[in-house]
Amino acid sequence: KKKKITRDLIKTKMVLVLVIGDLHIPHRANALPPQFKKLLVPGKIQHILCTGNLCTKETFDYLKTLASDVHVVRGDFDENLSYPEQKVVTVGQFKIGLTHGHQIVPWGDIESLSLIQRQLDVDILISGHTHKFTATEKEDKFYINPGSATGAYNALDTEVVPSFVLMDIQGGSMVVYVYQLFKDVKVQKIEYKKKS
Amino acid sequence: MSKTQTLAVGDDQEKLLNEALKHVEANAFEMKTCLDNTKLMDALKHASTMLSELRTSLLSPKSYYELFMAISDQLRHLEQYLLEEFEKGKKMSDLYELVQYAGNIIPRLYLLVTVGTVYIKANEGSRRDILRDLVEMCRGVQHPLRGLFLRNYLLQCTRNLLPDISSKEDEQGGTVHDSITFILHNYGEMNKLWVRMQHQGHTKEKERREKERLELRILVGTNLVRLSELESIDSSLYIKSVLPSVLEQVVKCRDSIAQEYLMECIIQVFPDEFHLQSLNPYLQTCAELQENVNVKSIVISLIDRLASYAYRTDSGIPSNIKLFDVFQQEIAIIVQSRPNMEVEDIIALNVSLVNLAIKCYSDHIDYVDKALGYCNELLTKKISGHIDHNGPPGRELQRLLKVPVDGYDEDVLTVLKLENYLSLVKMLNYEGRKSLSLYMLQAMLEKDASIESFTQAEALFSLLSPLISDQDDQPTEKCDPEDFEEEQSMMARLVHLFRASQPDQQYQILNGARKQFGTGGDTRIIYTLPPLIFATYRLITAYKTIKDEDQKWRAKCEKIFQFSLQTIMALCKLVPELSLRLYLQGALTADQIASETIAYEFLTQAFTLYEEDISDSREQVNCITLIMGTFERMKSLGEENHGALRSKCAVAASRLLKKPDQCRCVATCAHLFWSGKVTTDEGSFQEFHDGKRVMECLKKAGRIANQCMDKVVQSQLLVDLMNVYSLFREKGNTEVSSSFLKQLIDKIKSDIEELEDNDDKTLVDIHFQNTLQHLRHVKANEGSDS
Repeated sequence: KKKKITRDLIKTKMVLVLVIGDLHIPHRANALPPQFKKLLVPGKIQHILCTGNLCTKETFDYLKTLASDVHVVRGDFDENLSYPEQKVVTVGQFKIGLTHGHQIVPWGDIESLSLIQRQLDVDILISGHTHKFTATEKEDKFYINPGSATGAYNALDTEVVPSFVLMDIQGGSMVVYVYQLFKDVKVQKIEYKKKS
Repeated sequence: MSKTQTLAVGDDQEKLLNEALKHVEANAFEMKTCLDNTKLMDALKHASTMLSELRTSLLSPKSYYELFMAISDQLRHLEQYLLEEFEKGKKMSDLYELVQYAGNIIPRLYLLVTVGTVYIKANEGSRRDILRDLVEMCRGVQHPLRGLFLRNYLLQCTRNLLPDISSKEDEQGGTVHDSITFILHNYGEMNKLWVRMQHQGHTKEKERREKERLELRILVGTNLVRLSELESIDSSLYIKSVLPSVLEQVVKCRDSIAQEYLMECIIQVFPDEFHLQSLNPYLQTCAELQENVNVKSIVISLIDRLASYAYRTDSGIPSNIKLFDVFQQEIAIIVQSRPNMEVEDIIALNVSLVNLAIKCYSDHIDYVDKALGYCNELLTKKISGHIDHNGPPGRELQRLLKVPVDGYDEDVLTVLKLENYLSLVKMLNYEGRKSLSLYMLQAMLEKDASIESFTQAEALFSLLSPLISDQDDQPTEKCDPEDFEEEQSMMARLVHLFRASQPDQQYQILNGARKQFGTGGDTRIIYTLPPLIFATYRLITAYKTIKDEDQKWRAKCEKIFQFSLQTIMALCKLVPELSLRLYLQGALTADQIASETIAYEFLTQAFTLYEEDISDSREQVNCITLIMGTFERMKSLGEENHGALRSKCAVAASRLLKKPDQCRCVATCAHLFWSGKVTTDEGSFQEFHDGKRVMECLKKAGRIANQCMDKVVQSQLLVDLMNVYSLFREKGNTEVSSSFLKQLIDKIKSDIEELEDNDDKTLVDIHFQNTLQHLRHVKANEGSDS
C-alpha cells in the first residue's frame, strides 16, 4: 500500500510552468515591469514555455536563470531564426502545444488555432502575438494566450495590459494563474481538468 | 640593562618572551601562595620580581605587549586581595609606604598605581588627589616603550573610577573637570613619549621604528577614548576644555605620524554633534599640520562622517552651520597650501564635497554644481589634454562623476541639470567618457527614468555621445562585438524612456533622437532605429487619443508617418527582413487611424522589399504569410486597393518555391477573400465574404497538394485542407458542401491506408482522426441548433 501511495505522489507531483512571451525587448520595451521581476524567482519554476518575440539573447538568458528547461518558439521579431515554429511538450498528463501565432491567419482566431491543436494533437495550445491574455475552452481542449509580459505595443490593441501565466499542473489537473499589471499586480485563477 | 643594547629579532624574540613569561608565571604563583597565607610583604616582593621583567629593553613592542598583558592579569589578584583586606576593615594606609621601597622604579610605579586604584575603590582618601599623584608619578619613567605601557596600565586601572559629575557634590570625589585634567595630562605625556620613539636609534632603522610606532598608536588613542566615555562632557565643555588641549598637543609635537593618527582618532572617537560645533578649531589645526601629513584623508574622513550623520538624522545639519561653505573653503586652503598635492587627491577632496552636497543639501543642485565647477577650475589649471581613465587621476575623476548618478537616487536625470558636469566628463579620455556614459545609461534603464523634455534629451545625448557615434579620439581597434551589441542594445532600450507628456514634445524628442542616431552609422542604426520607429507608431496612437483637442492631429500624423517611412528606408538594405516587418507594423498603425493612402503605401513598400530583397525561400514563406496576416486585419482599404493586394498575395503565394509551401500559403490566401475587410465610400467596412473565391483558392491548394511527390506530405496537406474547408463552412461559407467534404474525407482515408507504416503516417492519421472527431462535434451542434 505504501508503494502505491508513493507512486501516486510521484505521479501527481506539482509542476509549475511559466507561460510568457511577446516581451519585445528592446524593440518595443525597456524591460520586464519591476513588479513582475520581483515575482519571478529562480528555482521555483520547473518549465518555461515562451511564445516568442523575446527578441534577443539577453532576454533568453534571463529566462534561463529562472528555470533550466526553457522552450521558445519563433516570433516574427525574434533575432534567433533557429527557434522552431511549433513545439510539443508533455507535463503531467497534459500534452501542450506551443506556437507564436503570427503564422496563423486570421490572427487570434480560435477556429484557426484549433486547426493547430488538432494537427499537434495537444490538450492545451499556447499561442501569443495578440498581446492579450485569453484562456478559452473549446471542445474539451484548452487555449491559453499569456499576453505580453511587458505590455508591448500592438497596433491592433490600444489597451495592452502586461501579463503572464503560471500553470500549476498535477497529473491531469491544472490550475492556471494569470498575473496582470494594472495599477498593481492582479491574479486570477482558472481550473481545468483533462477529460479522460 | 644597557640602553644601547639592540633589540633581538625573530626567533630570539620568541625565546626571550617565553623565558620572561616563565619567570612571570613562577613569581605569580609564589605571589598568590603568599597572599593565600596572608604574607603580604613576601607577596609584594614576588610581585616586584615579576614586574622587573618589564624593565627589559630587548623585547619588541609586540612581545612587550604580550608580557605586559600577562603581568597585568596577575596584578589583578593582588588588587583583589588588597581590596578584600580593606573591606574586612583592615587599615592599610601604610601600603603606600610599603610599596615605595620596591627596588627599581618600574616595579615601584606599577605597584603604586595598583595600590592607588585600591585606595580609590575603597574610598580611602581623596580620589582627586590620588589620581593627580598617580599621573604625576609616572613621569619617573621616561623610556618611551616602558613609559607608554605604564601609563596605559594607569588608564586601564582607572577605567571606571574617573569622576563623571559636573557639579561639586563631593569635594573629595572630584568632578569631571578633574578627570579631564587627569586624562589630558596622561595624553600629553604619552604623546611625547610616542614621538620620542621616532628619534631613538639609527636612521637606518627608521622604517622599522615607524612601523613599531604604528603598532603602539592605540595606547595613545585610548586617552581620547576615555575622554569620549565621560558622559558629563557635553559639546560646550568639549569645545572649551577638551578639544583645545588635544589639538594643542597635536600641533606642538610636530610629528606627522602622531598628527595623522590623532586627527583621525578625534573624528572617530567623539560624536558627530561635537564635530559639527567645533569645525573651526579643528580645520584650523588641519592647516597647521606638517607638510607630509595626509590632510586629504583626514578632511575626507570628516566630511564623509558628517554627510552620513546629516543623512541619518531627521533634523539634518543645523541651519546656522554652513557646512558646505566651511568645507569648500577648507579644501581651497588645503589645496593652496600644498602646491605639490597630487591631482587625484584634489579630486578626492571634491568627491567628498559633492557627496556632502548631495546627502545634506539635496535640494541645492547649485551646491553640487559649484563643487564640480571648482574642481573643473582646478583641473584645467593643472592638466592639459585628456586624462587617462586608468591612471589615479582618471579613476578618481570617474569616481567623482559617479557620485551624482548614484546620489540622485529619486531622479537620476538631475545629473543633466548640472552645468559643470559635461565639461568634467570631457576631460576624460575616450574609455573614461564611454565608461561613464554606460554608467549613466545603466542607471537610467534600471530606474526606468522618464525623459520628458527636449532639453533633457539634448543634454542626455551630449553625455552619451561616445555611445552614439564614433569619436575623434576613439582607438582604431574595433570594440569587442559582444560588448558593442550590448551597448547598442542599451541605447535601443533608452528610446522607451522618452515619455514627453505632450505628443508634440514627444515628436520633437524623437526627431532629435533620429538625427543623433543617424550619426552612428550603419553598425549602430540597426539597433537604435527599430525602437525609434515603434516609438513613432506609439505616438500616432497618442495623437489619436487627443484628436478632439488638436485640430491638426491628422496632418501631424502624416508627418510622423513620413518620418517613419524614411527611417525604415535607412534600414532596408542593411536588414531587409526586419524592415519589411516594420513596414507591416506601420501599415497596421496607419490602418488604425483610417489612413488608407498611408496604409497602402506601407504595404506597397513591404511588398517591394519582398520582391527585391527577400531571396531565401524559407524567409519568403515567413514574409508572405506575415503580409497576408497583416493585410487580413486591415479595415481602411477601399476595393481598388484591397483588390490589388488580394491579387498580389495570391500570385506571390503561388510563386513560392516548394509545393507544400505554395499549398499552405494559397490556402491562407483564402482568408483574404473571406474575412478580409473592405471599406465602403461611406467609411464603414465589411468582410469580403466571397465564398466562391475562397473555394477557388482552396481547390487550387488541393491541386498543388496533389502535385507533391512525397505521399506523406500530400496526405498531411490534404488533412490540413480538410480542416480549412470545414473552418470556412463553420464560418458560413455555403459554397463548402457537405458532399464535397465527404469526398475529400474518403480520398484522404484511402490515401492514408496506402501509406507505409511509420511514425509520419501515425501523425497524419492522428490528425485525420482528430479532424473527423471535430466534424462529428460540429455536426452534432448543427443538429442541436436547427
